[in-house]
Amino acid sequence: MSNSQTESSLPTLAHTLDQFEDCMDLSHREFPNLGVHAVYLNTLISGAKLQNEVFKPLHDLEPDQLTTLFQQSQFEKQTDDKALILGILSGKAAVFAEEQVYLIDVRGAEGRAITNSEIETTITGPHDALTEQVSLSLMLIRARIRSTHLKIVKLSVGEITKNDVYILYIKDIANMDNVQELKQRISDIEIDAVHDTNMLIQLIDDRPYALFPQILTTERPDAVVSKLVAGRVVGIMDGSPSAFSVPSTFYEFFSSSDDYYQRWMLGTATRMLRFFALIVTVSLTALYVSVTTFHYEMIPENLLMTLVESRSRVPFPPLYEALLMEMTIELLREAGARLPTKIGQTIGIVGGIVIGQAAVQAGFTSNILIIAVALSTIASFVIPNYTMSASIRLMRFGFILLAGLWGNLGIAIGITATTIHLCSLISMKASYVTPIAPNQPYEWRDVFIRAPFNLLKKRPTQSRPMNMTRVKPKR
Amino acid sequence: MKNAPIRLRRALICMLLLLFMPGCGDQRILEKLGFVQASSYDLGENGQLEVTITMPKADQNAGQRRDVLSLMARTGKEARVKLTRESNLQLVSGQLRNSLFGMSLARKGLLKHLDTFQRDPSISPRVKLSVVRGNAKSMLERNYPNQPIISRYIEGLLQKESMGQNIPVSTLYTFIRDYYDDGIDPVMPVLRNKSDNIIIDGIALFRGDKYIAEIPADDGMVFSFLRGSFKLGELSIHLSEGEPGGDTVMITSIVSKRKVRVSRSAEGAPEITIQVRLKGTVIEYTGGLSLDRPAEKHTLEKQIDKELVKEANEMIAFMQKHKTDAIGIGIAVRNHMSYGAWKQMKWPEMYPTVKVKCNFHFEIMNAGKVVE
Repeated sequence: MSNSQTESSLPTLAHTLDQFEDCMDLSHREFPNLGVHAVYLNTLISGAKLQNEVFKPLHDLEPDQLTTLFQQSQFEKQTDDKALILGILSGKAAVFAEEQVYLIDVRGAEGRAITNSEIETTITGPHDALTEQVSLSLMLIRARIRSTHLKIVKLSVGEITKNDVYILYIKDIANMDNVQELKQRISDIEIDAVHDTNMLIQLIDDRPYALFPQILTTERPDAVVSKLVAGRVVGIMDGSPSAFSVPSTFYEFFSSSDDYYQRWMLGTATRMLRFFALIVTVSLTALYVSVTTFHYEMIPENLLMTLVESRSRVPFPPLYEALLMEMTIELLREAGARLPTKIGQTIGIVGGIVIGQAAVQAGFTSNILIIAVALSTIASFVIPNYTMSASIRLMRFGFILLAGLWGNLGIAIGITATTIHLCSLISMKASYVTPIAPNQPYEWRDVFIRAPFNLLKKRPTQSRPMNMTRVKPKR
Repeated sequence: MKNAPIRLRRALICMLLLLFMPGCGDQRILEKLGFVQASSYDLGENGQLEVTITMPKADQNAGQRRDVLSLMARTGKEARVKLTRESNLQLVSGQLRNSLFGMSLARKGLLKHLDTFQRDPSISPRVKLSVVRGNAKSMLERNYPNQPIISRYIEGLLQKESMGQNIPVSTLYTFIRDYYDDGIDPVMPVLRNKSDNIIIDGIALFRGDKYIAEIPADDGMVFSFLRGSFKLGELSIHLSEGEPGGDTVMITSIVSKRKVRVSRSAEGAPEITIQVRLKGTVIEYTGGLSLDRPAEKHTLEKQIDKELVKEANEMIAFMQKHKTDAIGIGIAVRNHMSYGAWKQMKWPEMYPTVKVKCNFHFEIMNAGKVVE
């Protein structure tokens, strides 16, 4: 679109109107006595603002006072044609007067109100979430950091859509190399449209073919603030209710804001529970398959006959039985996620009763497998980040397959391969598995456990902050 | 997908191929297996082995909860191959918990029958071994109305009794370990049928891998005192001194510490002192001493010591007579000298003549809740 016009001449009214031909939402108002034309997109502006900022002053004006009016700072003189068009497209009004063009910000797009966070809920702590309207999101963050050191840089992405991307960092804490690198990567993106932050991060991550998300996204403003003060760089895209922070570690995906709002022992216990959940979700169904297919020795004597009895009516080998059940659960989950909330509940009941009860009674699966599948699915939802939880659920199928092939050896192969894959990942040129490799023992206290705040004196090394020391509590 | 790196494409193709591979390989799918939970070995005609196995049945509607199969074979594994022909299930030994040996087989030596136990990786070293008085097959074949699963019954019995130190722990691991150790001989519990139950009848003493003699089950506790240190045990002692007919003391929560001291006599022969320190709680006492008074409590302690020394001396003399060193005196002697000297000493020949002295020191920690 913008490529068609090569000459960047002085903007003229005729040319502008020509560019916006067939855009029904373009308004063109003329003030004949002043020789002034106002051009704007009425879908993007706020009527009241336009009235106050443009029409009212112009209405009461004598022709010779025009120059004085346009000297006011809200009128921004434009000499570039492209910039003018972009300005109108982002909700500004263009005022043509005396061979000059001025832009004035009258943006007033209505968005939804700030609502409770729904993906990353917490029991205690703030409940508000970022919204699609970036000005509101930035407000939520700015209101939480009352410091001039919070810097916000604006970039644009998408050849056609020209979405605004804001990069946030705290001067003197964030490493400027990271800021620079992020800016570079975002401006290097060549794509016609970006619709969401989660799409954006896939365009800028280090390993596009990796299984795991390498950049953390969050919808919580308090989480954004904590990332910022830890020296990470945060990005927010207009039109998306989530922010991302770079660099990210694998372990960050397993921590929740609640860990910090609970007392430290509870936070620690919850965090350990999540890593336990990771092990369960990856290995429990796989273990069922490997034990029933290869390792009958591992079964405790008391469980043996129960297991044999429930297995004896199942017509499939354990591997296919497990894949079938896992597939069913995934179907249930996906159906529940896509359906409206009211119907989604019905799915849960139908799925729970029909699949759970009837499948066992009909001898379709063994009840122990139902327990294993249900447990590992529940465990997968314990992982707070949805993207990570989905990646891990997908990985589980690989583990089940390996277990059906080579038993426990297969599971060991799976764990090894996953570890190798994880260690090969990087996030913004920093290791994805910090603080394990490279080993930073000090940071373990804020990764695997959540130590009391007076022991968390240093910022994480992965983001290479300019200032390693957090403010020491007075104690 | 077209732009994906070659490595990723290869990985995906491999993953797809994996889908077609299950079904190949050495699978042991649960419902197609017959789990041998207990096995027994008896001496059959012309040197053959009579092998009996028992395995649980999955079908709850069947009248019997288990299958018992039995036949003659030259070795245990040959028997398994033959027994498989009698069953619709593949027989596997990974769930084996108990192995019983007939008395006559035990007299001939068990090592060659235990070879497959050691060699087969699916057999746990914690398989419990015991000797059966008479025929082991009949013990397995019999139906115990109160105990539908015999392997669990026997295992529970042995487990509980060895926890209470009435019999020594006898697993495949301990038997093989004691067999190859030149300072100790292995032991096993002896089982026998008693109406509808199984009862522990004694402790079988082995020389090498051959059954030699037996200690009655009542003396099991004293045997445990001599064999090693332990916590948790119960002992009932009949005191020969005191009132006519004798008093009985029941001691519980016993903590026993054994020390073996080796010294040399003037001729250079080793002399052994076994020092056992015991602590325990009295929960029954039929005698007249008042245990609240330290002096009288001390008297009782002395009486118990004396009784235990008497029993221990008899037991050691018995073992020396049968040339079996079940309590590991040899280990203490060997630890006392260089390995060269030990080899020269020819311990098995010296053992019956060596001087062994026992010292017991019993301490009553408390005498129960009775206040006189």
